[in-house]
Amino acid sequence: MTIDLSQFYQVFFDEAGEHLGEMESLLLELDVDQPDLEMLNAIFRAAHSIKGGAGTFGFQDMAKVTHVLETLLDRLRKQELHPTAEMVDAFLDAGDVLGAQLAAHREEREYEDERIGQVCARLQALSEDRAPTAGQPSSGTGEPAEGAGGATTDAAALDAAAGQTVWRIAFDPAQAGFDTETPPLADSDSDAGSTRNAGLNALAEALAERGSLTRGIEASGMPVIWRLSTDTGREELLDLFDFVCDASAIEMTAVSAEDAATAADSAPGADRAIEEDPGFGIFADAPGATQAVDQEHSGYGLFGGSPGMERVASTASRDQQEDEQGYGLFDPSPGLPAGLNATATATTDGAAAASGAGEASKSAAVRRPAAAETSIRVSVDKVDQLINLVGELVITHAMLAESGSGLDPVEHEKIFGGLSNLERNSRDLQQAVMSIRMMPISFVFNRFPRVVRDTANTMQKKVTLTLIGEDTELDKGLIERLADPLNHLVRNSIDHGIEAPAVRLAAGKPETGEITLRASHQGGNIIVEVRDDGAGLDRKRLLAKAAERGVPMADNPSDKEVWQLIFAAGFSTAAKVTDISGRGVGMDVVRRNIEQMNGRVEIDSALGQGTRITIRLPLTLAILDGMSVRLGQEIFILPLTAIRESIQSRREQFKSVAGQGQVFQVGGEYLPLVILQNLFHQGRPRVATTDGVVVIVDTHEGRAALLVDELVAQHQVVIKSLETNYRKVEGVSGATIMGDGRVALILDVDELVRLSQQAPGPQPLVEAQGTPA
Amino acid sequence: MNEPLKQQAAAIGEGNREYLTFTLGDEEYGIDILNVQEIRGYDAVTKIANSPDFIKGVINMRGIIVPIIDMRLKFQLGDVEYNQFTVVIILNISGRVIGMVVDGVSDVVALKGEQIRPAPEFGAVLDTDYIDGLATLEERMVIMVDIEKLMTSSEMGLVDQYVAS
Repeated sequence: MTIDLSQFYQVFFDEAGEHLGEMESLLLELDVDQPDLEMLNAIFRAAHSIKGGAGTFGFQDMAKVTHVLETLLDRLRKQELHPTAEMVDAFLDAGDVLGAQLAAHREEREYEDERIGQVCARLQALSEDRAPTAGQPSSGTGEPAEGAGGATTDAAALDAAAGQTVWRIAFDPAQAGFDTETPPLADSDSDAGSTRNAGLNALAEALAERGSLTRGIEASGMPVIWRLSTDTGREELLDLFDFVCDASAIEMTAVSAEDAATAADSAPGADRAIEEDPGFGIFADAPGATQAVDQEHSGYGLFGGSPGMERVASTASRDQQEDEQGYGLFDPSPGLPAGLNATATATTDGAAAASGAGEASKSAAVRRPAAAETSIRVSVDKVDQLINLVGELVITHAMLAESGSGLDPVEHEKIFGGLSNLERNSRDLQQAVMSIRMMPISFVFNRFPRVVRDTANTMQKKVTLTLIGEDTELDKGLIERLADPLNHLVRNSIDHGIEAPAVRLAAGKPETGEITLRASHQGGNIIVEVRDDGAGLDRKRLLAKAAERGVPMADNPSDKEVWQLIFAAGFSTAAKVTDISGRGVGMDVVRRNIEQMNGRVEIDSALGQGTRITIRLPLTLAILDGMSVRLGQEIFILPLTAIRESIQSRREQFKSVAGQGQVFQVGGEYLPLVILQNLFHQGRPRVATTDGVVVIVDTHEGRAALLVDELVAQHQVVIKSLETNYRKVEGVSGATIMGDGRVALILDVDELVRLSQQAPGPQPLVEAQGTPA
Repeated sequence: MNEPLKQQAAAIGEGNREYLTFTLGDEEYGIDILNVQEIRGYDAVTKIANSPDFIKGVINMRGIIVPIIDMRLKFQLGDVEYNQFTVVIILNISGRVIGMVVDGVSDVVALKGEQIRPAPEFGAVLDTDYIDGLATLEERMVIMVDIEKLMTSSEMGLVDQYVAS
């Protein structure tokens, strides 16, 4: 099955963007002295979700950064480490890097920058519980190459913190407002030439005060290229230029240290002082460092985030060369996208890092529209508002038609014509607006063949995926929020559920495991099932783990209770932590997300046979097919999915049991009878008679009979929550607005049956009489 | 007519707050106008099962389901009639929209903070907990109600308490 994953990229970008935003705001809220564990968990979940998504779509660079990020967060979460302000800074930086990577992927290119490596190194160092100081071995591996790599990288990180940036300053003296009639510096002996080019020299001196300045070739009619190594921020430098000349004609880019070094080498008469900067050492060691860290080990992450480090540098320097070949051009050569340049610009300087990132994202924002044109993200509130307004329009039309009906159709032909046009148009509009919200679940399902394949390959397992009910339509809001939990569930199934081929064969099962994703509507709910035929949950292991972690359990817990354990935060029975699962967050996220949608997650499992996880979502966000029924003056909506049949009842079908409960006989069966009127205490208690319709409904506890006055019509209704402005009403799942503008309540049959069982019987005499045998 | 308007405008300009006053029985009440979304007539409501009688039910207000409470029933103020003069004040209490039936809406007034005096313990139909203070307007006493506190109280049963807390 081949599916073009790129159609889902936009979703991932948006989701990851949201997660990043959430992570950042949580980080900013986090009180370092008294960290809220819940908050750390939330941050961790955000990072984990990004990692999951990035892994799925093959954005390895992002997955790597988040993996390092997660490792540290995990330790914090388990309270093995105490969060420090430094960590928060590192997290925020990592967030920036991820944001930049995300922006780059949006434009279908790779974000390559040494910041990635630095951030990873910093996180790695922090998670190893020590300050990132130079000279300390990166880990206990004892491999010299790795130690060296770690040391130099740390030195680089320190240097970055010290904040030395190498700026490449290019400008044309003519354009910048310098007097070019006078021969430039390089053509003359500078002593005498000082007056001829006083402006230029003054500028150079001013710059030299702020760092070490290297002046390149300065020839008449040629652009001047200088290099400045300084810890002064970009803004300040630009202010300085403004002082002497037209700053807008000056192009200032931060260059990577290597470029600076190479350029320094190549530039005739260049000042070598630049190389005294200790940070430069790393590039000599770079190949060793990268090799060392490429090994999958705890040392991973020094440069682990960017094994393409050398490539980064080379791209940057190529970029540089192109720039230099293009002498006379002030803008970067036209072939180079501005974004790339900006990316290369965002380098080391601790102070300038933020502004650099800002620049990168700004240029990304400018370039983005091309990608964003095909779809726009609109808040569900706006769509709801549209639906409401269109609903009002339809009602207004009905009113107009009503008041117009008294007119003479011949005399007012135009009015009638207009009214019927209005009706057609508003109905079409209503349908169109409604359809905005509904999407087939295949939108989520289709990304799974790839997830399964990749995950199975990584785990060296054989898995096939079956999708059932892909056409099940579901509210867009639900679809979006279902993606994350399903992703976790499927990955969990492969990682923990499906056994390795050899194990499966030994257990007498086919070598290839099977995962089934099934979606369906059932009784007014949407059911999404993830089923595997793997090992199933191990009751003993779960209980042992619970005991180990001190989770309180009943003495003899039921299977359901035991299965619920896997939803506890940080609860994982996996032997080792992989980048797929095993940290025990997955199920935690799943349950949270589902509960946020007012849904439920159920687990069935049999050891050795497989696990089935059922997500049951209520239709609160969706549109419901309903049957309107009358009860006295009021109209109620019964979900059509719950209705089995409706029967014009006969008196002898109503029976009472022990004088208390009432049942309804249909066929050979006796069904519990729910008399809505009594339940809702409308008017006098009603005794079951023949003057009513009995609707047989499906509930969780089997079928039940509902006595109503009349069936009115079948409708498609928009479900509205009563809780928005009021509170939960028992027996009612929501409300809707009928064609005449009135509100009708939507009945929840499960709850009605439960309520009627709790409610006292219709005859208050029973108590006094005692129960007849 | 112009003069008082100007005065009012000036008064608002001095950082005063505006209040909507309404009558309930013989008493006049004032609520912060920022909590008032609109005023409308009484429409047919949809009853809600098993709710106290002062909760008349819900209405559809441009696609939003709004619960309607009758303050006259809540505070047992004699005859309750629903006709074309029945007024519903639509309130917006921290994002929740609630309709409140009152006897009549009187005026919008601007009051300075010091014009509102603390209320002594007294037998108003409202619990003093929900009263901000008393103000005098042209010889009439206006009871200033903390409508937000009142509507979210457990006494009204409008909000699931775990949401409110």
